[in-house]
Amino acid sequence: MDFRPSPAQQLLISTAREFLRKRADTPPAWREIGELGWPGLLVPVELGGTGGSLLDVVLLVEEVARAAMPGPFVPSAVVATSLLARAGTLDQQKRLLPAMAAGERVMGVALLDDAGARHVDDLALTLDSRGRLSGRKLFVEAADVVDALIVVARSGAEIALVLVPTNRAGVTRVPLDTIGPERTFELTFDGVAVAAEDRLLGSREGLAAALAAGALARTAEMVGAAQRVLELAVEHAKTRVQGGRPIGGYQAIQHACADLVRDVDAARGLLHCAAWKVDSGAPAAADVAMAKAYAGEACLNAARRGHQIFGAIGYCDEHPLHRLHKRILAASLDYGDAALHLETVAREIGLVYEPDRPYFRIL
Amino acid sequence: MEFAFTDAERAFAGEVREFLAMNPVDRFPLDGMDAGYGSGAHSRAFMQALGARGWISMCWPHAFGGQARPMFMKLVLFEELARAGAPFGPLAGSWQTADAIIEYGTERLRRELLPAIARGEATFWQGYSEPDAGSDLLALKTAARRDGDHYVIRGHKIWSSHAGIATHGLIFCRTSHETRRSQGFSMFVVANGTPGMDIRPITSLTGGVYHYEVFLDDVRVPADVMLGPEGRGFQALLNGLDSDRFWGRFYKAPALERVLRRLVDYANTTHVNGAPLARDAHVRRRLAAVAAEIAGLRLLFYRAACLLRDGAPITYETAVAKVYADELGQKLARLGMEILGRWAPLRAGSREARLDGEISHAYLTSLGHTIAGGTAEILRTTVAVRGLGLPAESKRS
Repeated sequence: MDFRPSPAQQLLISTAREFLRKRADTPPAWREIGELGWPGLLVPVELGGTGGSLLDVVLLVEEVARAAMPGPFVPSAVVATSLLARAGTLDQQKRLLPAMAAGERVMGVALLDDAGARHVDDLALTLDSRGRLSGRKLFVEAADVVDALIVVARSGAEIALVLVPTNRAGVTRVPLDTIGPERTFELTFDGVAVAAEDRLLGSREGLAAALAAGALARTAEMVGAAQRVLELAVEHAKTRVQGGRPIGGYQAIQHACADLVRDVDAARGLLHCAAWKVDSGAPAAADVAMAKAYAGEACLNAARRGHQIFGAIGYCDEHPLHRLHKRILAASLDYGDAALHLETVAREIGLVYEPDRPYFRIL
Repeated sequence: MEFAFTDAERAFAGEVREFLAMNPVDRFPLDGMDAGYGSGAHSRAFMQALGARGWISMCWPHAFGGQARPMFMKLVLFEELARAGAPFGPLAGSWQTADAIIEYGTERLRRELLPAIARGEATFWQGYSEPDAGSDLLALKTAARRDGDHYVIRGHKIWSSHAGIATHGLIFCRTSHETRRSQGFSMFVVANGTPGMDIRPITSLTGGVYHYEVFLDDVRVPADVMLGPEGRGFQALLNGLDSDRFWGRFYKAPALERVLRRLVDYANTTHVNGAPLARDAHVRRRLAAVAAEIAGLRLLFYRAACLLRDGAPITYETAVAKVYADELGQKLARLGMEILGRWAPLRAGSREARLDGEISHAYLTSLGHTIAGGTAEILRTTVAVRGLGLPAESKRS
């Protein structure tokens, strides 16, 4: 057993940390991100990527979130890339993945709709027999900057995964106003024509794998952001003086900081172990579910405790704390909330359930 | 990163499981109660069975009768024993004491104790706390005065686990007065039954006896039962505490897994209003959430284990893991009480008791876990000061 990142992973982490530190005030363009090779981590070498592992991605996303870097990394470089790599046709892979790896194309995913889309029967967006997409999707991240979306729709009793350029006739994007830094949209599809070559192979396994990658990337965001909350809180506790000494000298603050350490360390352990297990090829659905559910609770606790440690200054817009907090909040609900992941865990530990309908949820 | 066991570790786990299948744990007579830490009850017969397999001394150097096996084998053994609910109570203490004796024990301690430890015959109690020295251990008053080639120990120890059934005490006491408050302490390994030693049981809130108090009325011991450097015992003790916390709690994650498994079975087979309790969304979700926490706890311990194995410095890792282990144990016991409902308070052996009364016992014993071996408050302070570098609260002069 070994908890240390490999030398190559350590280099990835230190390079990312240095780059993100330099660019803290001027967020890099996606093209620059491409030059660093980050969007190509999950793209096979023969298609211009680096053929990295999910664990590599997770380590990088932790750094990205720690630095509060905005951008479509998770939908494009993790979920859409995974979907194309696992469920795309050879032609789609050749057409899209090299450009995505180079940072020349950005892809998004449209998963959820009105019903919350937890079951294929609940999907409101339909692909009819004439190849027309009708309905709407909600919570489509970064829809304003992506070139195209992979859209999950219902086609009869089956799931269809289709590629839709965001500028195609009949596609409308309307931003949703959230409390957080994420940019998320309502997408309306008004009889949008989908060509046969734009349909992915639509395997449920491919979708499940991409969603697991998304869930772990969101978990990594929570862990990275919570790590930053911990660092900021400790720094504040050492320097903020009240009653003649740093507040970090008071046990009430010391113990709150100690709990932050537990929350972050345990969440990170589950995250790394789950990513490692996915990479190993062993069944890892329960590990992913545990990591996501645990981090949702622990990292949100860390953010909330961080607010208490910072006191009034943490309530200001210009203070970084609330942005980290909101990122954790959004990530905890995206790619499966706690209720969904805990149900996966409940089944894994052997709790009986009603065999009413097949256990497959989009998220 | 690598989260799997090696082939050798897996093979050893199989060997232990085979041993447990051939030697069902409930066949071993118990001599002391299970305090819920996860190590089961005190059973000398079980310790001797482990000794007969060579597993107590397996990681010692060859020169001391061991097989020099890697430290992780001990973790594998612990996990398998805890999952099976085996009564290996004294094992962590035996390992700890043997390691200290191998590292800096006198010839006498090595000769007289190591073979007995390896056979599972010698077991130990810790004489650290005193009535007026708990979290502030340095306030202790027990003292040993030199008398020729002997020491004479006088004082009063309390909260010593299994002291009445172990064979030797590790008595921490003052041997001199120095300018620095933390200096002048030494450790002695004293055989039970030495004249002047009076060991009295303390009945706990469970109704059973786990702790003892020990009166030391001029207990005369040879100078070479001192363990470690004279007058520098506190530093040695502090260093040892990290590994005490580790080895004393490592098996809690697999032990909690066992309790969780029992609760899952119970929820699956107990019907409320015509449906299994397991279908209650609230019960389901809380059991699943605790399962994730146990998995997270296990990884905290394994991370600390890797640091110990690699000789890397430990600052806060075992303190975090210990507090979490103990608080999670309390949480699971509380959840178990809710799941068992009106039956929960029934004692082991009572008519109608469910899950053998294990949950009510766990509920009560777990109350002591956040106190024993360093309170949760002391340990959170350790995490903050030693791990995060926050300023120490000013000490009383």
